[in-house]
Amino acid sequence: MRRRVTPLPPADSPPVSNTRLAIIVLITGESMLFAGLIGMYLVFRLAARTWPPPDQPRLPLGLTTLNSAVLLGSAIPLARALGAIRRGETDRVARRVELTALLGLLFLAVQGAEWARLVSHGLTLGSGTYGGSFYVLIGCHALHVLAAVTWLAVVAVLARRGRFTRAHHAALEMCSLYWYFVCGLWVVLFPLVYLY
Amino acid sequence: MPATKRIRVALALVAGWPAAQVFAQSCAMCGSSFGPDDPVQRAFSWSILFLMATPYTLVGTVAGWLFYVHRRAAGRRRAAVVELAWDRRKVPAGETGGLT
Repeated sequence: MRRRVTPLPPADSPPVSNTRLAIIVLITGESMLFAGLIGMYLVFRLAARTWPPPDQPRLPLGLTTLNSAVLLGSAIPLARALGAIRRGETDRVARRVELTALLGLLFLAVQGAEWARLVSHGLTLGSGTYGGSFYVLIGCHALHVLAAVTWLAVVAVLARRGRFTRAHHAALEMCSLYWYFVCGLWVVLFPLVYLY
Repeated sequence: MPATKRIRVALALVAGWPAAQVFAQSCAMCGSSFGPDDPVQRAFSWSILFLMATPYTLVGTVAGWLFYVHRRAAGRRRAAVVELAWDRRKVPAGETGGLT
């Protein structure tokens, strides 16, 4: 007869891994960067008598709402990829990570097209506090999305090569946490910049 | 209420009384440089309050999560026990009893 033993966690393994701690420190630092930018935006927004200024174009709300849905929806395949690797279904990971990266790219492409239209309508970085604060804040987020998409692409390549297993997939977890952060940031920025 | 506690409450009231006389400003510059009901003063005030609250919120959230994770892990270690086989058959002396 087999003796059933509930496995004890190894005594030397910490409850939070070092890689997870590292990404939390990174995300906390990034959050402070965005807190500073949001503070800057709040000063300009609350100090202005009229916002947006009457001579400046309005931001495209409908298209950006759809684009927001794309970005937030991109977190779903990534969560499913993470679930798959935890169950040991390694063959499903790469495709889901690639889908997330593609949705992130689509978000960036739509943002770029939207910006090009705004610039053609006269809203540039130099057109007062409205344009300056908009491009700096949203541009900084777009740069973060671009960095995260690059990271996702690297993770997808690694997944295609079969580098992740049920026990070893720290890179995928870290990348997922960063992507969730980028998506969560947009949940704050979109209402602040486009709706408020 | 004990005397020391009463004194502490009285001291807190005395210390807080001047602050109650004026509308609290987030910094001295905001209070002195702008006129009353100035939107710029209000903007700076809210921005400073936001920037003051953010690090505490972030650090508090991360610290709370780490505390929770460590507590849960410690609880799991305490709860992890070797479940003995209750219904193990008695085996003759000299045999292993099928243990692997």
